[in-house]
Amino acid sequence: MSQQQTAGRGASDASRPAGGPNGRRPSREPFADRLAARLGSNSLTGLFFKLVFLGVVNGLALYAVSTLLPLRAWTPLLVVVVATLALDAVYLSRRTLPLKFLIPGTIALLVFQVYPVLYTAYIGFTNYGTGNVLTQDQAVDRILAGATRVPEGATRFRSTPLVDDADGTLALLLTDPDGDVFLGTADGLESIDEGDVAGEGRDIVVADRFRPLTLGEAQQREDEVLDFAVPISDERAAEFDEGVNAEAISVQTFTTAAVAVTALELDEDTGNIVDTVEGVVYEPVDGVYTAEDGATLRPGFRTVVGFDNYEQVLTSPAIRGPFFRVFVWTFAFAMLSMLTTFVMGLALAMALNDPRIKGRRLTRSLLIIPYALPSFMTALIWRGLLNQSFGPVNRMFGLDVPWLSSQAYAGALPKFSILLVNLWLGFGYMFLINTGALQAIPSDLTEAAKVDGASGWQAFRNVTLPLLLVAVGPLLIASFAFNFNNFNVVFLLTGGGPPIGGTPTPAGHTDILISYSYRLAFQGGRGQDFGLAAAVSSIIFLLVAVFSYIGFKRTAVLEEIN
Amino acid sequence: MTSWRKWAVVPAAALVLTACGNGTEEPTTTEDPAEDTAEPTTEDTEEPTDEEPAEPEPDEGAEEEGEEIARADADLVIWADDTRAPILEPLAEEFGEAEGISVAVQEVPFDQIRDLVSVQGPAGQGPDVFIGAHDWLGELAENGVVEPLDLGGAEGDYLEVATQAFSYDGTNYGLPYSIENIALVRNTELAPEAAETLEDMVEVGTSAVDAGDADLPVAWQQDPGDPFHNYWVVTGAGGYVFGQQDDGSYDAEDVGIDSEGGLRAAEIFGELAEQGVVNSDVTYDVMIDTFASGRAPFAVTGPWALPDFGDVDYVVEPLPSVDGNPAGPFVGVQGVMVSAFAENSLAATTFVLDYLGQEEVQLELYEAGGRPPALQSAFDAVSDDPDVAGFGAAGETGRPMPAIPEMGAVWTAWTDAYQNIFAGNDPEAAFEEAAEQIRNTIDAG
Repeated sequence: MSQQQTAGRGASDASRPAGGPNGRRPSREPFADRLAARLGSNSLTGLFFKLVFLGVVNGLALYAVSTLLPLRAWTPLLVVVVATLALDAVYLSRRTLPLKFLIPGTIALLVFQVYPVLYTAYIGFTNYGTGNVLTQDQAVDRILAGATRVPEGATRFRSTPLVDDADGTLALLLTDPDGDVFLGTADGLESIDEGDVAGEGRDIVVADRFRPLTLGEAQQREDEVLDFAVPISDERAAEFDEGVNAEAISVQTFTTAAVAVTALELDEDTGNIVDTVEGVVYEPVDGVYTAEDGATLRPGFRTVVGFDNYEQVLTSPAIRGPFFRVFVWTFAFAMLSMLTTFVMGLALAMALNDPRIKGRRLTRSLLIIPYALPSFMTALIWRGLLNQSFGPVNRMFGLDVPWLSSQAYAGALPKFSILLVNLWLGFGYMFLINTGALQAIPSDLTEAAKVDGASGWQAFRNVTLPLLLVAVGPLLIASFAFNFNNFNVVFLLTGGGPPIGGTPTPAGHTDILISYSYRLAFQGGRGQDFGLAAAVSSIIFLLVAVFSYIGFKRTAVLEEIN
Repeated sequence: MTSWRKWAVVPAAALVLTACGNGTEEPTTTEDPAEDTAEPTTEDTEEPTDEEPAEPEPDEGAEEEGEEIARADADLVIWADDTRAPILEPLAEEFGEAEGISVAVQEVPFDQIRDLVSVQGPAGQGPDVFIGAHDWLGELAENGVVEPLDLGGAEGDYLEVATQAFSYDGTNYGLPYSIENIALVRNTELAPEAAETLEDMVEVGTSAVDAGDADLPVAWQQDPGDPFHNYWVVTGAGGYVFGQQDDGSYDAEDVGIDSEGGLRAAEIFGELAEQGVVNSDVTYDVMIDTFASGRAPFAVTGPWALPDFGDVDYVVEPLPSVDGNPAGPFVGVQGVMVSAFAENSLAATTFVLDYLGQEEVQLELYEAGGRPPALQSAFDAVSDDPDVAGFGAAGETGRPMPAIPEMGAVWTAWTDAYQNIFAGNDPEAAFEEAAEQIRNTIDAG
């Protein structure tokens, strides 16, 4: 949020020079100027840069459209087209001056902020997760396709799909396990002799009529080929199906066919799936076709399930158990991470702000290194460093400290370690912003305070710190919110461990809300549960939003001091 | 030149704003959870059959996290990892030419194939054929994104554990090509005799450490507790993770971690921890370093570790017996599957069944991957390789790793249990708690 505010300010500043009246200059190129004016620009140079900019934007949009179109991703497609047209309209018109500065930010805000939040909230109301990834139509297709089964003991054939070039009729050349050869057509099965098959390999001609279908041709008529079935009469059935009540030999693959039964049908009127053999009706319940006795059909489909996920969050024993202590630790972790990095960053920034210190530039550059390294690498390296038996930290100092695995005092030591690593990761950032903010505070203010008889501490406490907090306050809130969800550090350093013990489902001493909900949603009993994960994320979002709101309120008070 | 400046500012402002939009992702947090967690999921739950079980590959995961791979423009599209893709490529080309269709083999990182098939398959951007591990089946079959594959009577040509692994809920879903499991790797210099029993192994190991010849009695990966590498102790003691039905499929209702055998395993493990035979701090790297430098008489590990063992003289042998019973590890099986959303399912199944089931292909995949082939005849053909024979023998008593989604509930709870044992808590209570947590998690799901 803070970035947006500053960026917003920058944009309105930029609008000032642009606001000058147009057309007062003596025009040396009347036509060009008129053209530029009509297209909403003050001069040809302006027009040139605008056209280049719009050209790039439209080019990118065209590229996006060309990739989205074959994917049939209609929503993103619509967004891209509307956003591009809006940009074009705003920039090519004279009447929409303020919008020119607002619209790029607005689009970015919608795409990168609002959309993910809304989408996450939406997923929280669905059952999206393992077993429920398909759309309802896709799921029905899969259920019906899987309904054709080759029963135990039924005959399997080697099969070659055939075609009659005269009228395109399909047929099958079937060989049963005993080596008997049959010709199967849509009318039925007939035994044939070797004499009916002329030629060799792929060039055979069957019954003077059919030739083998190539795989390429079969691909063209895939549905037809896969649905092709040879009806079998009752006396034949006894021969092949060993008591299976089958009516047809159907294509299994390009080279096999088998006696198969189809039991399931979609009832178009009710939308239920009916097992015609057993007489069972499966109704869609929360994304799964379910019979009265609780039997279900696989796969399920994605659907909106209302507040089910939230209900699960509130009623599950998994959550009721360790939730409170995880929540308290999350808050403590975020708060302490923010405070320790801020204090250390500020102390270093103030020290290096003092002109008496030599080599300030080099020291400053070195201090930024931990911040510049990818945090997941640093976390993994620290995991190795703090390894109890083999880690360099213990070895170098001849210690045997269980930095990451001690369960004593509610995991106080691993909690300390994780804060330490997070301090290492975060102080560089705080150092950077504090250095910048300190340099913006006029030194005559502190000097004036000293003239008035304030001690160094008093000057810092009453002059420097309040001014500093006005500048970095929003960033502290951002740091708190970031650490509230600092999944990487927790997951890579301790994995949430060591285990708390005695909890109904696994939970660790260093688990924060986001790593704990990861356990719930992705290490649960049913594979991955994106719906539940999104519901928990939405709750965390609300929590962070409330904390941030309170925080911003308080920095607003600081600003009034200014 | 006010206007010049004005127009220079606009794109810059746009860029800044966009960058801000991206930047604030961090503080506001509620991004798509799928994206956030895609990488850890694969790392954790898939750990055991992954190429290198517990060696996390953070750079790869982080860089390619959430990346989409567009389906190649061809009639038949095959996804394979960088080891197998070069082998499948000429085969696919040959097949395409013979059948008059265009084919493309796309290289996709192994640990991303599973998620991408579920996400991109239904969207029409997935492959027709892909390679994968059998323990993905629970998820893929539940999602309805993998096509049943009728081996058409060829089941008997494969190792039993391989076809059992690729059968989910009574239906076969893949053509297996290799199996992998852990075994006991013995340094012949430090331990000249094979360790027949757990006691032998402990004795040789601890005396080597006492004599100063070794740093670890057994290089046995934990960090912080490893249900995958410890499972053989459990089966040897008569325990199990999930009960198996007659057809070999796993029953999620029957958690066997706190069965009589399971608790016996906990007791044994508690002793091993106390004696320092297993150590919570042994990471994959420590395991490799210690054994490769000749500072451990044994290593409990799989074929993925062999290339890193350098010039140590070793033999691969079955895991030692526990309480006089043979100990069986988890067996992972790799195979080729057909997407339920294959654009061209006829060609896909034909290619898999008629081309990839050949002995030569299985042998080529063996050459590249170093895992014993799943086809019996190919397995026999390479069994004069002592490493393959050793891992094969160790796997004979193994059980396919359960593919049911409920397995997701097992890893963390059981890891915690081992961690509790290392911390000195009562081993049996730790296993009982884990079993209870697993039941609770399954019920809650």
